[in-house]
Amino acid sequence: MTRTLRAVLARNPNNTILLVFLFATFVILSLLLPDKFLSLRNFQSMGSQISEFGLLSLAMMLAMLTGGIDLSIVAIANLSGILSALCMKRLIASGVWPAESLAVLLVAVAVALGVSLLCGLVNGLLISRVGVSPIIATLGGAALYEGMGIIVTSSRGIVGFPDRFAFLGNGFLSIFPMPFVVFAIAVALFALIINKTRFGLTVRMIGANPVAARFSGLNIPRTLTWVYLCSGLLSGISSVIMMSRSNSAKSGYGSSYVLLSILIAVLGGVNPAGGFGTTTGLVMGIFVLQFLSSGFNILAFSPFTQNVIRGTLLLVVMIVGYLLEQRAGSTRRAHRPSLAHDETPGTGAERPSGKAPPAAMS
Amino acid sequence: MVSSAARRTSSRLVRRILRRNEFYLFLFFVGFCALVQGFSSTFLTLENLFDVTRTSAGFAILAMGVLVVLLSGGIDVSFFAIAVSAQYGAVKLLIALGVSSLPMAFAVSCGIGLALGAVNGLLISAFRLPTLITTLGTQTVFHGLLLTVLGSRAINSSDLPRCFLDFSKANVLTLSKPDGTPFGLSAFVPIAAGTYVLTWLLLRFTKLGRGTLAIGGNVESARRLGFNVPLIQVCVYSYVGFLAGIMGVINVALIRYVTPTTLVGSELDVIAAVVLGGARITGGKGTILGTVLGVAIFEVLQTSLVLLGLSSFWQRAFVGLIIIAGMSITAYQTKVRNARNLIFRLE
Amino acid sequence: MTSTVASSTLLEARAIYKAYKGVQALSDVSLTINRGEIHSLVGENGSGKSTLIKIIAGVIGPDRGEIVFDGRRRSEGLNALGAIRSGIQVIYQDLSLLPNLTVAENIALSQVVEKGRRFINWGSMHRVAEAELRNIHAVVDLDALVEDLPVSSRQLVAIARALTQGAKLIIMDEPTTALTKPEVDALVAVINELRSRGISTLFVSHKLDEVLRISERVTVVRDGKPVGVFPATDLTTSQLEAYMTGKTVARKRFETATDQRGVPLFELRSLSREGHFSDVSFKVWRGEILGITGLLGSGRTELALSIFGMNPADSGEMLLDGQPVTIRSTEDAVQNRIGYLPEDRVLQGLFQSKSIGENVVVTILNELRGATGLISSRKTRTTISRWVEQLKIKTSSSSLPVTSLSGGNQQKVVIGKWLAIRPQLFILDNPTVGIDVASKAYIHEIVRDLARAEMGVILISDEISEVLGNCNRVLVMKEGRIVREVRSSDATEEELYGFVSGKAN
Repeated sequence: MTRTLRAVLARNPNNTILLVFLFATFVILSLLLPDKFLSLRNFQSMGSQISEFGLLSLAMMLAMLTGGIDLSIVAIANLSGILSALCMKRLIASGVWPAESLAVLLVAVAVALGVSLLCGLVNGLLISRVGVSPIIATLGGAALYEGMGIIVTSSRGIVGFPDRFAFLGNGFLSIFPMPFVVFAIAVALFALIINKTRFGLTVRMIGANPVAARFSGLNIPRTLTWVYLCSGLLSGISSVIMMSRSNSAKSGYGSSYVLLSILIAVLGGVNPAGGFGTTTGLVMGIFVLQFLSSGFNILAFSPFTQNVIRGTLLLVVMIVGYLLEQRAGSTRRAHRPSLAHDETPGTGAERPSGKAPPAAMS
Repeated sequence: MVSSAARRTSSRLVRRILRRNEFYLFLFFVGFCALVQGFSSTFLTLENLFDVTRTSAGFAILAMGVLVVLLSGGIDVSFFAIAVSAQYGAVKLLIALGVSSLPMAFAVSCGIGLALGAVNGLLISAFRLPTLITTLGTQTVFHGLLLTVLGSRAINSSDLPRCFLDFSKANVLTLSKPDGTPFGLSAFVPIAAGTYVLTWLLLRFTKLGRGTLAIGGNVESARRLGFNVPLIQVCVYSYVGFLAGIMGVINVALIRYVTPTTLVGSELDVIAAVVLGGARITGGKGTILGTVLGVAIFEVLQTSLVLLGLSSFWQRAFVGLIIIAGMSITAYQTKVRNARNLIFRLE
Repeated sequence: MTSTVASSTLLEARAIYKAYKGVQALSDVSLTINRGEIHSLVGENGSGKSTLIKIIAGVIGPDRGEIVFDGRRRSEGLNALGAIRSGIQVIYQDLSLLPNLTVAENIALSQVVEKGRRFINWGSMHRVAEAELRNIHAVVDLDALVEDLPVSSRQLVAIARALTQGAKLIIMDEPTTALTKPEVDALVAVINELRSRGISTLFVSHKLDEVLRISERVTVVRDGKPVGVFPATDLTTSQLEAYMTGKTVARKRFETATDQRGVPLFELRSLSREGHFSDVSFKVWRGEILGITGLLGSGRTELALSIFGMNPADSGEMLLDGQPVTIRSTEDAVQNRIGYLPEDRVLQGLFQSKSIGENVVVTILNELRGATGLISSRKTRTTISRWVEQLKIKTSSSSLPVTSLSGGNQQKVVIGKWLAIRPQLFILDNPTVGIDVASKAYIHEIVRDLARAEMGVILISDEISEVLGNCNRVLVMKEGRIVREVRSSDATEEELYGFVSGKAN
C-alpha cells in the first residue's frame, strides 16, 4: 500500500510538497489556537467560506489548463448575482409567487447561472472565434460585466433575500454547511470531467501545444468556447453562494478573489503556460489558503495585511517553483543556450521552437 | 523623367502612410472629434482642450510606461499601486519635514517609484517569472503594505504642502475667454510631453532602448546577441516606476487630495489606451505616436460619455467595450492573415 | 603553443571527448578546417555532431581534447561570447534574428552590443549593414522588418550579421531546409563568395546531395566516434550514407499492382485556393502510393493542408469513395479518416511536454471510452501498448516524456497516432527529413505496409529518390499546378529532376 502511495506521490512532486504544507499549516494552527481552530464551528465556518473562492479557483484552473486565463470570474459572479437579485426582487414585488416559494428560488438560481453562462460564452467566442488573447478578452470582459453591474445598480448594493434562498448559503445538510456540499459536488464533477472525459483530455492537449492539437484533429474553437462557458458557469454557481451568504449583491464584491484564485492555481501546481495541473493539487491549495485565512481572521489580521501575505505567498511560490525546476531541469534539459526553449517574458509561457516552419510562403 | 520619379517616391510615401495603423487611428480620432463636436459645440474649444490635457496628463505619462513594458514583451499591472505609494510617501515626508518643495516632492516620489519598479524588474529577471502574475502579486503587496504601514487615512488639501497647490494652478500659457476669465495650459502638459520625448529618445537612440525591443521580439536571439536581458528588464520596470512617481505628484496636484484607495483597480484603462494605440500584447511592436493617439482617443471617448449625458457609472462598461471592440478588429485581421499565409504560432 | 606563422589550418579540434547526460556523446573525435574551406559535417541524429558544434562554438566545454583556432589554443572555460570574439559564428536553424526590428538593425546591432556602445548611430548602422550586404552580393531592403521577409532573405541577413563580427568561421546548421532551389543556389553563391574572402564555412546538413555539391571535404561521425574525412569529389551519396550508418541499405523499388479500375479511393476535382494552388485534379486508388514532388513554393504542402482541412479550398471538389466530402477543419478530416504527417514534427506533430502514450492516443480519444462513457484507464493503457509495440518504439515506458525518444522514434510516435485512426488516406509530408537512415528505411517500410493494407497514401517529398523508390506514380507540382505525371517504373531520377526544376518540358 505504501509503495503505491509513494509511487503516486513521486509522480507528482508538487502535490507531495503541498500535502506536507497542508498538513503543517493544519498542525501549526491547531497548536497555536486549539480552542478556536479545532472546533466544529470553525470547520463549518471554513467549509462555508471555502466554497466562494473555491469555485472561482476551479474556474481559473480550467482556463489556465488551456494556457489561457480568466480575469473576469469575479465580474461575472457579481453581475450574475446582481441580475439574479433584481429578478428576485421584481418577482417578489409583482406578487406572482410568494417570496418563500420554491419558484422564486429556482428563478433566482436560473438567472444567475444563465447570465454567467452568457458572459462565459462571450469570453469563449472572443477568444476562440475572433482570436483575441485571453488576457485582453477577459480583462475587457471584466470591465464590461462589472460596468454593467454598476449601471444596473447605480453602484448600490441589493439586499434582503427570502429565507429559502438564504438556506443555500447558510443552511446545513446534517453537519455540513450547504456551500461546502455544493463545492464538494462541483469538485467531484470537475475532477471527473478533467480526467475522464474526452473534453478534459482535449483541454490538456490544447494547453500543451495548440498547434499540434489542431494538427491532430482536435476542435480547438469548440473546446475553448466550452472552457470559458464552464468557467463562467462556475462563477455563476459561486455567485449564488456569495449572494446567499452575504444576503446581498453588489458590484466590486470579492475583487481580491482574482488574485486569490491565481495564487491557488499556481500553488496547486497548475502551469500558467497550460497543459498541466491536477484537481487534487488545486483542492489542497484551496484548503491551505482557507486555513491561512481562518488563522488570519482569528488572529485579527487586517484585510490589508492578509492581502500582503497572499501577494507575497504568490511570489514566493513561483520563485520556489522556478528554483526547484532549475535543480531538476539541469539533469533533464540541456539549457544554455538551447534551441529547445524559447522563453518570452510575457505570460511566462515556454515555447518549444523546433525547426523553422517551412510553410511560411513568400 | 524627374517628375515620374518624384511621383513614384511620393506615391510610395503615401502607400507607406496608408499601411501604418496610426493613420487609421488618426482618422478615427478626427472623425470622432467631429462627431462629438456635432453633439456639443463646446467640445472643440481651446479651453476644453487645455482642460482635457490637464486632467489626462498623468494618464498619458503612465501610458508611456505601459508601452515600454509591452514592447519588452511583458505586462505590468502594478503601476498605480506604485504611483499611490510614491505620492503618499512623498507627501508624508514633506509634511513631516515641514518642507514645501516641488523638486523634492518629485525626487522622493520618483525615487520610491524607481525602487518599487526595480523590485518588479528584479523578481521577473532573476527568477524568470511570468510578468502578469508577478505584477499582480506585487500590486497586492505594494498596495497592502501602503495601507498597513502608512494607514488608510486621506490627506486633505488643507494639509497638503503649498507646493502641490501652487503646482496645481501653474500654467505655462494663459489666455482669456471672451468674458475676460483666464484659462491656461497647465504645467502638467509640458512635463507629459517631456516624458514622451525622453521615452522616444531612449527607445530610439540607446542600446537599452533597442534592447527592450529586442527582448520583446525574441528573447533567446537577444540573449545570443549579447544583450544583458536581466539588466534591460530591471531598467524597463524601474522606468515604469519612475514614470509612476512623476504621475503620482501630478495626480496629487490635480485632485488636491491624497488617498491610498484611489487609482488602484483602474490599470485596465491605461493598458486599454496603449493597446488601442496599436501596441502588441505579445511584445515587440508599438509606437509612441500610436500610444499618443490611443490616449487621445481614449480621453475623447470618455469625455463624449459625459457630453452624451451618460453618468460616470457607464465608464467601466465603456472601457470594456472599447477594448473588446478594438482588439477584436486587430485580432481578427491577424487571424485571417495567419490563416492565409499558413502561419501556425503557439499564440 | 602559439604559432607565429599563419598556417592554412584555421580550426583544429583534436581528440575531443564529451560525456553528456550520462551518454558518451563524443569519443576521440577530431575535425580540421582550413582557411577559406567549405567543410561539411555529417552524421545521423545522435551521432554527436550537434555536441561537437556546441563545443566548437564555446557553448559547452569538452571533457578532454583541445581546440586550436587561428593558431591559438583555446583556453579552458571559454564561453560562447569568447568564441564569437575569436571569430566563430554559428547560424542556428532558427537564425536567431529579431523579427520586429529592421534588417539594418539586425545586422549592425551585434556590433553595437559588442563594442559596448550606449548610443545608437543610425547612420553608421545603415552604412555597416549596407556594406556587409554588398559584400555578399545580397539585395535586401535595409528598412524592412525581418518578420516580413522570406526565409531566404532572412538567412542572408543572418550571414551578414555574422560577418560584421569579424567571423573567420561560419557554422551553418541545416541552412537549406526551408529554401527553394533558386534560393539554395543563391546561398551557395554566397558561401563561395565567403570562401574567396578567406572565410571558412562549416556546413551541417542532412541533404547529402547538397553536401557533396557544396563542400570540399566531408567529416563523418557515427555514434560519437570518428569515421573519417573524405574529399567530396570522391564520394557518392550512397557511400556517404554507408559511412554514416555503417551499413548499406538496399533500396528496393516499391512494386504493387494497383487496381486502377472502379471507383478511386480519393479524388480531387479542380481544387483551387487563391495564391496557393489552382485547378488540381488527381485520383488515388486503394493500395497505391502517390508521390507529389516539386520545389518548395510549388504549393504541395498547401495542397496537402487543404485535403487535411487546415487550409480549406476556395473551389473544387473532394471525393472519398466516389462520394463528395466537405472538409473544412482537421476534425472533419479525422472523421473521414484522413491523416496527415506534418513536415515540422517538433512543433506540429508532437506535444513535447506530454508523454509518449498521450501523444499516441490524442487522435482517438473517443475510442478510449469505456462502458460508462468515461475514459477508461485500462483501455487507454492497452491501446497505447499495442501501438508502441506495433511500431517498435524503443522506450522503457510509455509514460516517459516524448522528448526522451530519438528523432526516428519520435517520428514513429507521430505516425502511430495516425495509424490509430485507421486512416483510409494518409498524407505524409516529407516524413524522413532529419531522420537517421535506418529509421528512414523503416518508415518507408511502414508506408509500404499501409499501401499493402489497402490504404491510399500520398507521399510528398523533396527527395527524388525517395519518391521514385516508394511510389507507383509521381505528380510534379510547379507554381501551384500539376505539370507532370509519371509512372515511377518509367522514369529515371535525372528525368524527374528535370521536370521538377523545369529544365525539361
